[in-house]
Parts: sequence; C-alpha cells; structure tokens
Amino acid sequence: MNDSTVTLDSADAPQVAVNEPIISIDDLSFSYDLGDTNTLRNISLDIPAGKVTAFIGPSGCGKSTLLRCLNRMNDLVDTAKVTNGKISILGQDINAPDVDAIELRKHVGMVFQKYNPFPKSIYENVAYGLRVQGIKNKSVLDQAVEESLQKSALWTEVKDRLGTSALGLSGGQQQRLCIARTIAVKPQIVLMDEPCSALDPIATARIEELITELRQDFTIAIVTHNMQQATRVSDQTAFFYLGKLIEYDDTEVIFGNPKERQTEDYISGRFG
Amino acid sequence: MVKHFQRRGRKFFGLDKQGWIKGFFGSNAGISIVVLFLICFFLVVEAFRFFPAHHEGLKVYRKSGQEFVGHIMEQVDGYQEFVSFTNQAYFSEYDERFGKERGIKDSWEALLGEIEDGGEDLAEALEDARDEEDEAAIAEAESDYHAFLVDLTSEVEQESIDSFGRLKNQPEVWAALLEAALTYDPVEEEIPAFVAEAVRLQSEGMRSFAQAKDDIASAGTGLKDLRSKLTTITSQIAKDAENEKSNEARKFAILEGAEKLEGKEKEEALAEAQLIIIRDEFPYGERVKPLSDSKENHQEAVKTLREKLTRGIANLPGDLSSAKASELVEEIKKGRDRYLKNLDRSLRQASEWESDERVDFGESIAKFFFGNKWITNSSWTDVYGLLPLLTGSVLISCIALFFAVPISIGAAIYVNRLATQREQTLIKPSIEMIQAIPSIVLGFFGIMILGEHLQQWSQASWVPEFLQIKDRLNAFNAGLLLALMAVPTIFTLCEDALNNVPKSYSEASLALGASKLQTVVRVIVPTAISGILAAVLLGLGRVIGETMVVLLVAGNRISMPDWGTGLGIMVQPTHTMTGIIAQEMPEVGPGTLHYRALFLVGLVLFSISLSINIAAQKIIKRLGHA
Repeated sequence: MNDSTVTLDSADAPQVAVNEPIISIDDLSFSYDLGDTNTLRNISLDIPAGKVTAFIGPSGCGKSTLLRCLNRMNDLVDTAKVTNGKISILGQDINAPDVDAIELRKHVGMVFQKYNPFPKSIYENVAYGLRVQGIKNKSVLDQAVEESLQKSALWTEVKDRLGTSALGLSGGQQQRLCIARTIAVKPQIVLMDEPCSALDPIATARIEELITELRQDFTIAIVTHNMQQATRVSDQTAFFYLGKLIEYDDTEVIFGNPKERQTEDYISGRFG
Repeated sequence: MVKHFQRRGRKFFGLDKQGWIKGFFGSNAGISIVVLFLICFFLVVEAFRFFPAHHEGLKVYRKSGQEFVGHIMEQVDGYQEFVSFTNQAYFSEYDERFGKERGIKDSWEALLGEIEDGGEDLAEALEDARDEEDEAAIAEAESDYHAFLVDLTSEVEQESIDSFGRLKNQPEVWAALLEAALTYDPVEEEIPAFVAEAVRLQSEGMRSFAQAKDDIASAGTGLKDLRSKLTTITSQIAKDAENEKSNEARKFAILEGAEKLEGKEKEEALAEAQLIIIRDEFPYGERVKPLSDSKENHQEAVKTLREKLTRGIANLPGDLSSAKASELVEEIKKGRDRYLKNLDRSLRQASEWESDERVDFGESIAKFFFGNKWITNSSWTDVYGLLPLLTGSVLISCIALFFAVPISIGAAIYVNRLATQREQTLIKPSIEMIQAIPSIVLGFFGIMILGEHLQQWSQASWVPEFLQIKDRLNAFNAGLLLALMAVPTIFTLCEDALNNVPKSYSEASLALGASKLQTVVRVIVPTAISGILAAVLLGLGRVIGETMVVLLVAGNRISMPDWGTGLGIMVQPTHTMTGIIAQEMPEVGPGTLHYRALFLVGLVLFSISLSINIAAQKIIKRLGHA
C-alpha cells in the first residue's frame, strides 16, 4: 500500500475510545452552487463514538445535507462544494484530495428515507456490499448475510426465502433489509436519513428498537422529523435552523431544558 | 317551473361547441387508424393474390412441357461448365509446354496469310508461266515474286504477326521464319521443315489431352441439340396458350361491343368474333406429344453424355506442367460426382414428368418461401424464391447490429451514468444528429468513400483471405452504414431505459462503497435490461426496413450466399427484400405475377417489422411491472 494514500481500512483504522468524538466537524460551510449561497453555515459539531446522535430541525434547515456530507454523497451533485472548514472522521480529513470516497463509504454506511432494496433476491441485497469489494467465497458471504439479517431482526422472517425478490417484502421489512445491507459491510458509522418517514407506526417501532440495539456496535447519526423518535432513540440531539447549528447537547437537556429560545419554540411546536 | 342549469349556446347539426372540438380531435385520430387499416388490407389482398396466379403459372410450366425442358437445361448448364473448365485447362497447359512451338505454328500461318493476301496476283502469274513452260516468263515471275517477298519480310512487324508474344524472347526463331518466308514457293505451298516439326511435336505432346478434351466437348452434343429443339417447341406452346387465353377476352369484348352497333357494322363485328375459335381447354396433351416422345432420346443423350464425360475426365492427364491447368483439372474431378448425381436425379425427374399431372396449390406457396432463386425478366421462365432476399436482409441486419449494439449501449451508459454535464450536452445531440443525415447521402458516402477504403484496407496482409473484399459493394459495407443509422435509435431508447432506473438504486449502491462502474454493471444495467433489449429490437426493426442504403451499397446480387466461404459471406454482394421492391416495382405492370410477388415480399417485410415491434412493446410492458 502506498504510504501517501490514507485509507480507512477497518484492520488498521484508528480505534476511538468511547465518548471520544469519532466525527469531528469544524466550522463547516457547504454550498450546492459552487459557493454562491451556503446551505450549511459554520457548523462545528463533535459526534462521540458508540452513541446515537439525532439531527432535528424544520424542513430545509440543512440536517440531511450535513448527513450526506459525512459520507460524501453530495459528490454526486456536480456543483456541490465544501466552502469552509473540514470534517474529520476517525481523525482523517475526509475531503482531503487523497481520500477515496468509495473507501470512505465502506466505513460510513447510509440508510435512506425511502427504503430502496435492489430488484434482486434478499440474499443478493445483503451480500451486495461484500461482492463489490471482491469477496466471492460462498461461506464468508453466507455467514455475513446471516449475521447481518440477525442483527437487523429479519432473519427469522426471511431465512426460508432468501432467494426470492426483496421487492416482495413489506415496507418495514424492506427498510430493515436496507439496514442489514448497510451493516453487512461492517461500517463504523451508520447514517440514517429519516429511516421511518415512509413507514407505519408498528414498523417504525421495530426500526427504533433496532436502532437501540445497533448502538452497541455502531455509531449512529439519524435525521428525524419526529421529536418523540429523537427522545426515544438518541443520546445527543443537534437542532438546526436555516443552515446553522442552533444547539447541541444531550437529548434530555435539549428536550427538557433547552438553552436557546428557538430550540424551545421548535420542540414545543410553536413553529416548524 | 323555473329552469336552472340548462345548457347554453346554440347547436349546429346536433352538436354544441364542445362536441365539435371533441369531434375534430377524434376524427384526426380516427383517420390514422383508418389509413393504417386500409394499407394493411390493400397489402394483404394484393399479396395473397400472388398464390393463385403463381399456381396458374406453375401449371402452365408443367403442362406446356417447360418443366421437362427445364430439367434438360439444368443438365446442359452443368455440363457446359466442364467444357469451359477443360478448355481453359487445355490451353494453359498447351501454352506452358509448347508455347514456342505454338508460336512458330501460329506465326507461320499468320505470315502465310500476309503473303497470300498481298501476293495473290503474282502467285497466279507464276503459276500461269509454269503451266506454259515459258522459261523467260518463269524467271521474270519468280524474280517479281521474290522481290515482293523481300519487301514483305523487311516491312512486316513481329508484334502484328506474333500477337500473343510467344516468340518475343526467341529472335533466332523469328529470323528463321522470315528466312523460310523468303524462299516460300506459292505454287508448291511447301511447309518449312522446322515448322512441320513444331506442329508434329505439339500435336503429339498434347494428343492425349486433346482427345480427352474432344471427348468432353462432344459428350453433350446430343443433349444440346435436344435442348434447342425442345425449347422452341415448348416456348411456342406456352405462347399459344397465352394467346388463346387473351383471345377469349377479346371475343367477349367484341361481342359486347356488337350489342351496341347496328346493321352492317354489327354483322361485321359478329363475323369477326365468329372467327375467334375458343376451345374449352387448350389441347396441351396433343401439343406436348413431341416432348413425351423425346423422353427416350433424352435417356439416350444423357447416357452418351455420361459415358463420354466420364471417359474424358478419366483420360485427363494427371501430371501437368501448368499449375493453373492442374488446379482446373482438380476442380473438374471434384465436381464430377456431384454433377453425375444431379444428372441422374434430373433425368429421373424428367422421365417422371407428365403434362397432365396435378400441381398442388401448396407447391406455389412452398416454391415462394423456400425457393432459392429469384429470376425475373428472363427469356425462359421467371422464378420467385424469397430465400436469397431474406438471407440478404438478415445477414446485413446481423452485421449492422453486431456493430451498433455495443456502440450505442456503451455510449448510453457513458452519457447516462459516467459523463459530466458538459460531456452530456455535447454527446447526446451529436449522436441524435446522425438521424438527421438523409439515407441517400449515407449511401453515397458508402459507395464513394467507405467501399473504396474498405476494399483497400482488406488487402492488408493480416486480413485472412476469405475476408478480402473482391466487390466494393457488399453486405459488410451496407451493414456498417446501417449500424450507423441504428445507433441513434438504440442509443436514445437505451438512455431512456437507463434513465428510468430509480436514482435511489444507484445511491444505495454508491453508499455501500461500490464504484460508479460497479454500480452500472451490477445494478443499473440488470435493472434496465428489458428496456435495453427492447431498444435493440427496435433498432433491428429500423435496420431491416431500411431501403436506400442497401439498394445503393449492398451490391444487389440476387443469389444465395456461398456458405463454403464461412464468414466470407459477409463481404459478398447481396440483395435485400427492401431493395428488390424499390428496384423492380417501377418496372412491373400492375396485376402481373411479378407485381404480386413484390407485394408478397412487402407483406413478409411488414410481418417481420410488426412482430419485432410487438415483441419490443411486450418487453417494455414487462419492465413496467417489474
């Protein structure tokens, strides 16, 4: 391996102790139009390892944009640009020129708002991330698929029909399959962009349950519109408004005794 | 009661304003459906009338005995090839071994011709003088003749006498010839010894070959005579039968016209009609009697041909000096068994021919769809077989798709998934612009530039021999141009199919650490595969229906490809279903068999495109459900 290229390989990735920041955002400004207008403005935020951090705020406040900055999904937009500051993950500046976004995404997984399994079998969906890494060994894949499906509480429901199309599952199951697919690659961080917004209350409850279990193995950042959800699943909460970070603290503090007036107005439903 | 809510406005012809607007748009849609229906109806009716007419033609072909003569013709045609091959072999061997001797003989004869032409009067004078035994006159005539010979030999040019240049490198032989000419005596007409020797040498050396050649050349004389005799008879029968049929119509017309006439004119017309005798049926049976009677002659002629040909071929010398001659003799020996087998088969068929045997209707259908010959405007009989045209169309389409499919799918993937915004705005319109090139311009380019260059490039040493292009206009050239025409169609539809893949699929794949290329190969293309398949099918539909380019560039040779050359069939000239219609339709009379045959080809073409389009639509529908 070339020394000058810094890769985030799980074997020799720096391990961060619990409660130390795994993601460190420093004075970040971000623009979707090459810097004409900043969608995110001067955000500084440390996300500790092994915790669940919730991003809340009204629509258009930039919380999803920030989440997509963390695994560089915004690269897909030609005119997107980080205009100021930097994001460090596991101590490495992820926008440095020698960082490969593909390598980064193997360590920072993502679950999307609308469940989006591939039109393939359940098995192939979970094995996909490993296959693109070049793993062909059947027993390794089998084991990873079973493990991931068990962790995402889907194994008992689908173990007899792994070969059938993933599109035949219910919405909640499809979303859990997407989580299984994401954790099969063994990322350190899982980003969730409103993972329950397309689901009914029962499926939502199951996903929330799952998030609580997953926090043992992964650092989770979750964007949500649902304030109750934030209180139920998260350790920390960050409140954004118009591209700025207004307040960031333990969840109990934010919902119990917020320091900022805007935060209080928002969580009490006076605007939003 | 007070009325509320009633309709406002006046009605015209029972329809209000909304009704008229609706009617206007509805009728526009209706017209296109009606037109489509009429086209289909017309095409089907015109085309299907081919079969009865074709059946009628086949019946006449059998009844008039043309079928019988056709077999003989086939036999003669095959035989002629042996004669021509043998002649070529003989003369190249002759030249190889006795080039000098042949030169001496031919040059002497040519010289002699010059001498006799110019010295006719002098030779006569000499002969008269000798007859009269007048010494002085003899001496004078001899010296006159000698002077003439001296003049002639000094003036004559070697090139004009030895026109094939056989003595070009033999100046001493030429000198000897001139020498001999100087002492030539027109009364004695003695041939110089060395010329006689040369003649003897070559005739002895070539004797066995010459004999074999004569055997082969004379083997078919009987059969050839029979053929020309019978051809005349049977053509006359067919013509008479045709005339009698038109007479029937003529008589009917005259009688009908006579109804309207009065008095004398009417009588005249009736008398004229009376002269036209119409029989219930044309007496084929009695007319073809000479043909039935010559079946035995035919057997005899074939037997002679078989014996003499076999003997001649067996007697062809084995060790030949000329490479070309031995190659030809090899060909002859190889072709012999096949020919003899065909000879037996056609002899059997000919002997089984009966003028009054029934012609199955199915035969008129089978001969069209499975016939491997398409011959029109021939002096003998027209043959309509679809196969050469169908294979031509399919061959060219395959070549076109072979090139167009990878290019357009590759370009579509690049533009849709990998290119930057700027590249997209450049590439997409460029490819779609190809569609704007008129096909006649493409064809012109194919003839003048592509054909020329392809032919040159194919002569390169690394190109295998069977792919070297002999004819500038061929299937490969046309296929390349059609590929160019298919690219925009396949590209655009393919790009649409790729566009229809939800963005969330590629996002999910990228978020799992797949590269853009992996995403395309593993997720995007498998998801869009039915759309891509449909795009390819529609491209095929575009290619198979294209006319102008193939008409100009494909070479228009109507024959089955020579399968023996393997992939070499790609560079052979061919003809297509579209091309034949465009080429022949302007020349045919409406209602003729040829006209209906072309309609039937059109119907076949229409059915092919229709099924391709239906298949593509089915595939796209299935994509919608996925």
